Amino acid sequence: MALRLLWASRVASHLRISVAQRGFASAVLKDLKYADSHEWVKIEGTKATFGITDHAQDHLGDVVYVELPDVGLTVSQGKSFGAVESVKATSDINSPVSGTVVEVNKELTESPGLVNSSPYDQGWIVKVELSDAGEAEKLMDSDNYSKFCEEEDAKH
Amino acid sequence: MRSPRTLEVWRLGTVNYLKSLKIQDKLVSERKAHQIPDTLLSLEHPPTYTLGKRRTDHNLLIPQSELTKIGAELHYTQRGGDITFHGPHQAILYPIISLRSIGFGARNYVETLERSMIEFASMYGVKARPGNKCETGVWVGDRKIGAIGVRITSGITCHGLAFNIDPDLKYFEHIVPCGIADKEVTSLRRETDALLPSEEVIHKQLITCLANAFSYDDVVWKEDPSVILDTKDVE
Repeated sequence: MALRLLWASRVASHLRISVAQRGFASAVLKDLKYADSHEWVKIEGTKATFGITDHAQDHLGDVVYVELPDVGLTVSQGKSFGAVESVKATSDINSPVSGTVVEVNKELTESPGLVNSSPYDQGWIVKVELSDAGEAEKLMDSDNYSKFCEEEDAKH
Repeated sequence: MRSPRTLEVWRLGTVNYLKSLKIQDKLVSERKAHQIPDTLLSLEHPPTYTLGKRRTDHNLLIPQSELTKIGAELHYTQRGGDITFHGPHQAILYPIISLRSIGFGARNYVETLERSMIEFASMYGVKARPGNKCETGVWVGDRKIGAIGVRITSGITCHGLAFNIDPDLKYFEHIVPCGIADKEVTSLRRETDALLPSEEVIHKQLITCLANAFSYDDVVWKEDPSVILDTKDVE
């Protein structure tokens, strides 16, 4: 548990953002935005980088395959753009923002496990050029996302 | 106090694979739109080989042209998992359920499917176990008795599990089952001397084990499969 906070702090300082304290196992980073389908997004001007959260990777199990979109693809907020496979299950990944794909993380083809070991850093999935910067308002901040995860986990 | 959870069960007999995909697509849309509760399809397929999203067709050991000769079809799908065989006397369950309603991710879901099959096998004195890492499924020793391949879109599941009651295991010789070489495939018939009841009874037992594993409060057994099989959208 302490190790995960240490890891999260290291990632956060690398990304120059701060860590939210959570009593639960998965890490949530401040200054990122979150979708209710458990993707995170870091917005920098008109560009955004996104991936899946620590909560998501923990609930998926070991990722063995990531289906990456093509560069140039148009993505829409809340719509599926790709998938991951873990434990013989393919799970859709939704885009948290709308825009055009400008780069995908090719490392994930050889090393899909980066999504598990480094979901906010080396496990990033897609970079986009945003088409609607205002859409980020619809996403959750780290505090709301933490609460959302707690509520979801309480369902079983 | 949470609201009671209902599972609607359709027992469909033998269904062509492509038809079952169309039925599932329709049910996934309806479940996503909250038009139906969690739903379970219980069925068998005629001899059919299927591949998952990763398209691992190097694990098909005979040329595709040979498949019609042995009376089998081949289909590529969007589910997780490797190549597998479906056929008569193999019980298939396709749960179309909302994982978000129970706060489950893929891992919890698949583990619960494994537990359902293990519980079912124990009814016949067969001690089954979940797979080791990278070997998702249900095993008796080093022999695979139950397979899993799942797709999750917008938090709704489709595809599911296949449990070998007494299929013709020779069909598995034409593939590297689930991409795992050097491991056998087995069946309930092979693993127990117990007298097996009718397949209708067996399917009902497997369904009940799944309903219990997922803690459903109510199971509604739908009586008329033609409602699902004959809709004009499904052709």
